[in-house]
Amino acid sequence: MSASEQNQSPDKQDSTPDNTTHFGYKTIDKADKVSMVAGVFHSVAQQYDVMNDLMSFGVHRLWKRFTIDASGVRPGNKVLDLAGGTGDLTAKFSQLVGKDGKVILADINSSMLNVGRDKLRDKGLVQNIEYVQANAQYLPFEDNTFDIVTIAFGLRNVTDKDMALRSIYRVLKPGGRLLVLEFSKPEHELLNKAYDFYSFNILPKIGELVAKDGDSYQYLAESIRMHPDQETLKTMMDDAGFEQTSFKNLTGGVVALHKGYKF
Amino acid sequence: MTTALSKIASSLMIPQALASTLEVVINQTLALSSANASLDKLTQKTLTIELAELGFPLSFTVCNSIENSQMMVTALTERADCTIKTSIKTLQKLKAGQQITELIKQNLLDLTGDIKVAQQFASLAENLEIDWQSELANHIGDIPTHKLMQLGKSVSAKLKFAAKQINADASEYIVHEKRLVVTRSQIEHFNQQVFAVSTQVDELNQRISQLINRKTNH
Repeated sequence: MSASEQNQSPDKQDSTPDNTTHFGYKTIDKADKVSMVAGVFHSVAQQYDVMNDLMSFGVHRLWKRFTIDASGVRPGNKVLDLAGGTGDLTAKFSQLVGKDGKVILADINSSMLNVGRDKLRDKGLVQNIEYVQANAQYLPFEDNTFDIVTIAFGLRNVTDKDMALRSIYRVLKPGGRLLVLEFSKPEHELLNKAYDFYSFNILPKIGELVAKDGDSYQYLAESIRMHPDQETLKTMMDDAGFEQTSFKNLTGGVVALHKGYKF
Repeated sequence: MTTALSKIASSLMIPQALASTLEVVINQTLALSSANASLDKLTQKTLTIELAELGFPLSFTVCNSIENSQMMVTALTERADCTIKTSIKTLQKLKAGQQITELIKQNLLDLTGDIKVAQQFASLAENLEIDWQSELANHIGDIPTHKLMQLGKSVSAKLKFAAKQINADASEYIVHEKRLVVTRSQIEHFNQQVFAVSTQVDELNQRISQLINRKTNH
């Protein structure tokens, strides 16, 4: 669905041993990668929310609500909404943590961050939100800082996902939890075929029509296919040090919410 | 059974869909109501309600931004200041805050946590009164609102009359013209006849019993 906020490499193993990497299904020079992916998100930032509603028929709101419900957030918590883009999760967390808590909206893409900041300010949400342009692999926060870290529709675009998971683990407080909301592999073959048809035939056309950018949404569909499936991502979280890791499939596995704790 | 229902609801994201709908409805209602001011007292307070019929909790949290206070509805349970376990039927009675203790005594609800929070939420629900007429007047003016209300009353009266007329005409057609259904008086007459026959049968039964007894004694 959403062109995500962490504009990094979209592929499973991301960098190849030589000086090339992937951009969706294409193989490109590593040096070109950042600017190409940044171009995708600079291009879609203004239409991001409208496209999310159109592409998911509004269901992305329920996926995000599910994430909030699974977070166990309490008043006074410190939350990092990583790859937070236009701030849907930040808006909810900001209200739930109250004035004693804090939410950091972090995204590597300045356009997405600007759209998010404007949107949240228009809603009157200013008291407990900070904005940070940051790379998930190199989080600029001290160890043991956050009670909750979320990354929604962002991890698949990170170049080195293992490194990002380790970075997240580092900034979580003991007892803190990570929630990864991300596209995944549909549980049923029939749904998988229908989803493929929709992603590669309809989605780019909607992108062309609404955001005037079909290529970005073609890239989005390809990047989703290259993302690790549910079990693989769970293993990656285990390897990064997370405990009690689990996942919950939503909408038949089109999206999965992974959760893990740091103890 | 409840666990199975809960799992189905969870996979279909029914709690989130319901919470989302409730949140919109409650906040729209609060925006139109004078009760909005009393939300401030409940800032960051959470009331969690677990209805037996639903199989999942709904938490109501009052949050405030720089502009206004709003109600957030979630399925979070970790932050409840007060948790009420009850049924939909009893929930309607909760609007009267003073009834809470009475309902606990009657075992109609379980309450854990701060009862004052439950009472404040109940009081908020009780004071949700919307003056639709003045709300409309704010948008279209006093005179158009007055005319619209008069028109509304007139249309309502005509609709009631029409409904009554249709009802009467339909009864006439079914009972007297098509004779598909009997009249009330015919049913009463039939009932009386059945009762009379029943009484006669009882009397006859008693006489037969007496005759059999006499014959046996002889």
